[in-house]
Amino acid sequence: MKVPLYLAVAQWMLLFAFGLLLIVVFRQLGRLLHKDDATAPFGPAMGSKAASLEYSRFADNTVQYLTPGDGQPILLAFVEPTCPSCEQLVLALGTAEHAGELSGLRVLLLTSSPKSYLKVSDAFRATRLECGRILAQATTQVYGATSTPLLVAIDRDGVVRAAAPAIQLAEVRAFSRACLLPPDKGESIPITAAAPQHENDLEAAAPAAGAD
Amino acid sequence: MDVLVLCAKTALACLLIVAGGAKLSDPASFASAVRLFIPFRVSWPLLSATAVGISLGELGVGLASLTLPAITALNALVFAIACAFVAVSAVGYAFHRGRSCRCFGALSQRRFDAAGVLRSAVIAGVAAVALAHVGGAALQLGATARTLLFAAAGILAVAAFTAARVRGTRNEPGPEVAAQ
Repeated sequence: MKVPLYLAVAQWMLLFAFGLLLIVVFRQLGRLLHKDDATAPFGPAMGSKAASLEYSRFADNTVQYLTPGDGQPILLAFVEPTCPSCEQLVLALGTAEHAGELSGLRVLLLTSSPKSYLKVSDAFRATRLECGRILAQATTQVYGATSTPLLVAIDRDGVVRAAAPAIQLAEVRAFSRACLLPPDKGESIPITAAAPQHENDLEAAAPAAGAD
Repeated sequence: MDVLVLCAKTALACLLIVAGGAKLSDPASFASAVRLFIPFRVSWPLLSATAVGISLGELGVGLASLTLPAITALNALVFAIACAFVAVSAVGYAFHRGRSCRCFGALSQRRFDAAGVLRSAVIAGVAAVALAHVGGAALQLGATARTLLFAAAGILAVAAFTAARVRGTRNEPGPEVAAQ
């Protein structure tokens, strides 16, 4: 029986494509075996340039592009509505905001959960702080947000001045001070990082299209 | 000559299947790349739906091109898509240089650059080769062969989806720090 030429060519091409994908998967599996997430750094390195990121703002359901270093200090909180420690942090941030202690800062709550999840938490539902959903999975990787809550202080030059889990109002105040460090000051404010309160894999909960 | 044309045709079909499958693994990320080409404000659900639509379109055209080789209109459609790739690469290079193109979802870390425009031009060239006429006998496929090809193409799409998902969650480079 004679095989049509097209079928023969298509078979080889599919085989080639499968081979390429197999190489990609095996290469990645090899990397996974050598890299344990437990050894991965938590939070971005202090003194490093903060990465830009995109998020979907819950207030008006628009995509926003955050560019650290545009002259405004940023206090970034990676939080999840289902995480009790994150609720404490959101309450602390709200208190500080209400007291005017965060004036001059752009405070942004980032979550991997859809907007509907905010309903499960009184703190998230009531907060007037800007809140959005992370769009690219890469964002959590870049910021080392492997667990929540994570608070990141970024100065007006886009340099990370502090990054650690935080819950208390005092910690929020320390982070806000870190945000306002003068640009010429080379060192960052050391903030003792407590152990993450809530292991919440942000990557696993990465946003799915149109879930909002 | 026929072998060359058929190689071009099947290679492009596989490329579209892999690109579509990989993009579907992380539509939110691809949507952020799509947003670069929309000059006005678009709601996220619409943007996301557009990204999924483009991914499904690529996947569908790839599947159809691979399993229905006798339909020559599909070759023209693939060529048109390849030309669109060139246009997107060129616009991306002109206005969003250095930003990730997400052309293959998380499978590729390519960004909008001159090499990307060249790659797209090569793809368009290959698509032009695939437009060449091939004798009908070479394209005769029975129902069984067609079904098997469709199944293999489906598995290829799933493999691309899975591979991109693994890479996407573990090995993506961060968004570049660049003033907008």
